[in-house]
Amino acid sequence: MSGILTRIKDKLKSYRVPGYRTKFDYKWTMVVDLDRCSGCEACVVACYAENNLPVVGKRDCDVSRRFSWIRIERYVEGEYPDVKVKFIPIMCQHCDTAPCEIGCPVYATYHNQDGLNVQVYNRCVGTFTCATYCTYDVRRFNWFTYKWDAPLEQQLNPDVTVREMGVMEKCTFCIQRIRVAKDTAKDEGRKVTDGDMQTACMQSCPTDAITFGDMNDPNSKVSKLAKSPRRYRLLEELDTDPSVIYLKRVMDDKKGSGNGHGSSHG
Amino acid sequence: MKRRDFLKFIGAGGVGTGLGILFGQAIKPPGSKLIPYLIPPEDVIPGIANWYASACTQCAAGCGILVKIMDGRAKKVEGNPLHPISGGKLCVRGQAGLQSLYNPDRIPGPLRRKGARGTNSFEPISWEEALSEVTAKLKELSDKGENDKLYLLTSALSGHLGRLTDDFMAGYGSTNTINHDLFDYRNLRYANSAAMRLDAIPHYDIENTQYLLSFGADFASTWLSPVNLSRGYGEMRQGEYRERGKFVQVEPRISLTAANADEWVPAKPGSEAILALAIAKLIVDSGHYTGADASAWKALLAPFGLTYAAEATDLDKKKIRHIATEFMNTRPSLAIGGESISAYSNGVSGLVAVNILNHVAGNLGIKGGVRANDRDLFAGTRAKKVGPGIDALIRAAEAKEVGMLLHYNNNPAFTTPGTVKAAEALKNVPYIVSFSSFMDETTVLSDIILPANMSYEDWGDHFADPAPGYQVATLMQPVISPVYKTRSLGDTIMELGRGVGGAVAEKMPGGTFADHIKESWSKLYSQNKGMSASALTFERFWRDTLATGGWWPEGAYKEQKLSVTPKRVARHVSKEPAKFDGAATQYPLHLISYAQAGHLDGRGANIPWLQELPDPVTSVVWGSWVEINPKTAARLGVKMGDMVEIESPHGKIQSPVFLYQGIRPDTVAMPIGQGHTLYGRYAEKRGANPIEILPSTVDKRTGVYALNSTRVRILKTGRPGDLVKMDVSTDELGRNIVQTIAPGATGKVPPSSHH
Repeated sequence: MSGILTRIKDKLKSYRVPGYRTKFDYKWTMVVDLDRCSGCEACVVACYAENNLPVVGKRDCDVSRRFSWIRIERYVEGEYPDVKVKFIPIMCQHCDTAPCEIGCPVYATYHNQDGLNVQVYNRCVGTFTCATYCTYDVRRFNWFTYKWDAPLEQQLNPDVTVREMGVMEKCTFCIQRIRVAKDTAKDEGRKVTDGDMQTACMQSCPTDAITFGDMNDPNSKVSKLAKSPRRYRLLEELDTDPSVIYLKRVMDDKKGSGNGHGSSHG
Repeated sequence: MKRRDFLKFIGAGGVGTGLGILFGQAIKPPGSKLIPYLIPPEDVIPGIANWYASACTQCAAGCGILVKIMDGRAKKVEGNPLHPISGGKLCVRGQAGLQSLYNPDRIPGPLRRKGARGTNSFEPISWEEALSEVTAKLKELSDKGENDKLYLLTSALSGHLGRLTDDFMAGYGSTNTINHDLFDYRNLRYANSAAMRLDAIPHYDIENTQYLLSFGADFASTWLSPVNLSRGYGEMRQGEYRERGKFVQVEPRISLTAANADEWVPAKPGSEAILALAIAKLIVDSGHYTGADASAWKALLAPFGLTYAAEATDLDKKKIRHIATEFMNTRPSLAIGGESISAYSNGVSGLVAVNILNHVAGNLGIKGGVRANDRDLFAGTRAKKVGPGIDALIRAAEAKEVGMLLHYNNNPAFTTPGTVKAAEALKNVPYIVSFSSFMDETTVLSDIILPANMSYEDWGDHFADPAPGYQVATLMQPVISPVYKTRSLGDTIMELGRGVGGAVAEKMPGGTFADHIKESWSKLYSQNKGMSASALTFERFWRDTLATGGWWPEGAYKEQKLSVTPKRVARHVSKEPAKFDGAATQYPLHLISYAQAGHLDGRGANIPWLQELPDPVTSVVWGSWVEINPKTAARLGVKMGDMVEIESPHGKIQSPVFLYQGIRPDTVAMPIGQGHTLYGRYAEKRGANPIEILPSTVDKRTGVYALNSTRVRILKTGRPGDLVKMDVSTDELGRNIVQTIAPGATGKVPPSSHH
């Protein structure tokens, strides 16, 4: 890592509370195993149902206004008959040095005590800065106040706000479920452990490709999976320090990225 | 509240109270809802969710689910973690089931036809009227002595509802129960029954196999039991303490499942059976197969030599030999056959060939291979093997031999080839009763509609087929009160049966359908040792079963020997090629019509989440497309998004082009699901339905329409299409987004060995 990058990174961190990294109560982390992921998109619909994502219709989809907090990207390599299709689920990476956070003029997006990149809807004034800065294209803007055709609105999850026009939103790592798990654990005088909560995408995933948990807990499943030799993080060279860890797909694709992209963070 | 409303309320309330004393419950004061809950209903605490166990009915797999209920409304469906099929997981359609429940286009109550048939002109009527009209019609038919002219058309109904409808038909004196679903695995059942004498679909043990050879089984999105098989797939790849299994998919296009394969084998459409038999021959000839009947197999498979197979399948000889070697030497291995081997005029032969392959490789009846499932838990509750198919009903309707039709939960006017003219044929039926929830292309032909509850609103049960090696019985309970004025189908059938009287009334159980299920389960409880050992009293057992979602003797798998003999399958093994309509000179391209993950046979098209869900392979939303290889497209002079005409000898449809490297240059493919003329606001007038231009070719043994049995040509229209896809580019542009690692570079390392 070059010196200038380190300096920028340190500078970004200095905007936050001193001792920032060590003060996290939890370090929520998601591990996505690309060798398990089949690209079925069950996670996408689960997220729509859990987080009250509106359906925007064909015309708005055409101008990239679709609200999927988690999406499957697909990449096609080679020519017939040597063709490989690869899938990757992409959601907010909850970067520890998040480009979106430094841009927001009203502190609507910031890092919370759990290491989550959170979005405060009623602070957001819709400058679109965060979405412009985001490396992973995961931020979604409410261009309109979307409506549900009655009685579809009866399905809306009361634990999650229905957003209005002019507000930016994105994957929260199902913060409403984290909230419940933390409250329950606090009442029982302990910390949240594996099995207390799952994100909606993880819960639905038929191949068990998504794992979510606390990286501060050395016994959590994510802590163990994160040590896999297949580990990498998305566009890691940009130094956004994401909280989402991917495990490489095992594949004989000749130009395979091999072992060259190991991670330097733990 | 306006002043006028307030006065009305006061007045009506006063009168209501007065009259209420006279008429009991007949008149309720209109303001009664304003009284807050002094004693809240049981289980309703604002802000606190209750979870109820049930079964998903979005496809026939029967995943156990938990429904999250808050304030009397269903909020979220999750898999039931205790359930052996779903194991706490769900697919896209299972997740989206609630948008079917709360769909604004559901039929809100009983309707009677007002205008001409098929014009979608109905008037609302009361349930009393509707039931008495249908009862009278049933009596009328019976009085004429034409009882055997009553037809029942449903998707394969599992559990007690299936048995009740069977009893109803038997009591009424008709044998014409027609089960139809576009994807109901009739060919598979037939082939397994012919080759292995298996009635129930076996458990294909993907989880424990080391080498999976799939002939177009799209198990990651639609085939058989997608959630259960996908769970197995994840474990096969990266389960702990085991080697990573290898996966090879034979299919003319890269489906969602083929995209996950280590090797994609694009055999020529219609030649998959030959490939399977050629591999079987290589295995037998190599001496790997040591059965006493080896010489009989050698003789039977003799015509399927490598040279012949290589030419027929358009594959390299080396490739076929390589698959055969790996398939027999990797233990255990498993071959499965899905749509792209069964959707031909000789579909059964293809699936029989897969069974032969499993037999000679030694994969039958072993862990990681094909494992037999137990017989039915309740006699007659599982969908029957292979009864008459939809073609029987259509032929009878054309000959005006159908006196009355009861129709529930399927849509043959949409899912049968256009040349069959199902809707035209059904118009010959004098009286059609529908129990459907949505006004679709078939329901609109009815004379009267008695909409049934959805599974979330009703009692019921489901018996998994395929089960995971042991019986799985899932209970459904009403998790919310009905959203619309609908009624339990079981109760409706029972009431009709009692109304008709005679033999059919005697067959109808007493009480409600809910009582019937409970009573039937109590009998089973006293007979079944496993059940009676699990709880002291039936009431206790019933309560536990409702809470856990059903009953399954987990781990009770009994080894059962399976085999295929040359004698049994000889008549299904032939060199006769699959039939294709359209001369190759005039129609140069094969057409593959496949089930799309979200829409299955078209039933998901009215769910907004699923319309806006990008197709897993193409990322297209809210419409259909035709997949064309870029080389073919260049020759035709069309580019991505262009509107083209797809013409078969039986008709033409229009669809935008999607350029796809993962399809054979001599083949084009279209998803099924769009092109509804009627199915609610989200589905109507969107895209095209490829089934419209298919021939009426069937596999004669099962009556299943062969979806891939036509050739087509592509004609330019010169207009841009309405393709909306979410991917801007499928090129990583050197960003190394999906990183890969070669097999063996680190091997597969169990995660738990790292600490």
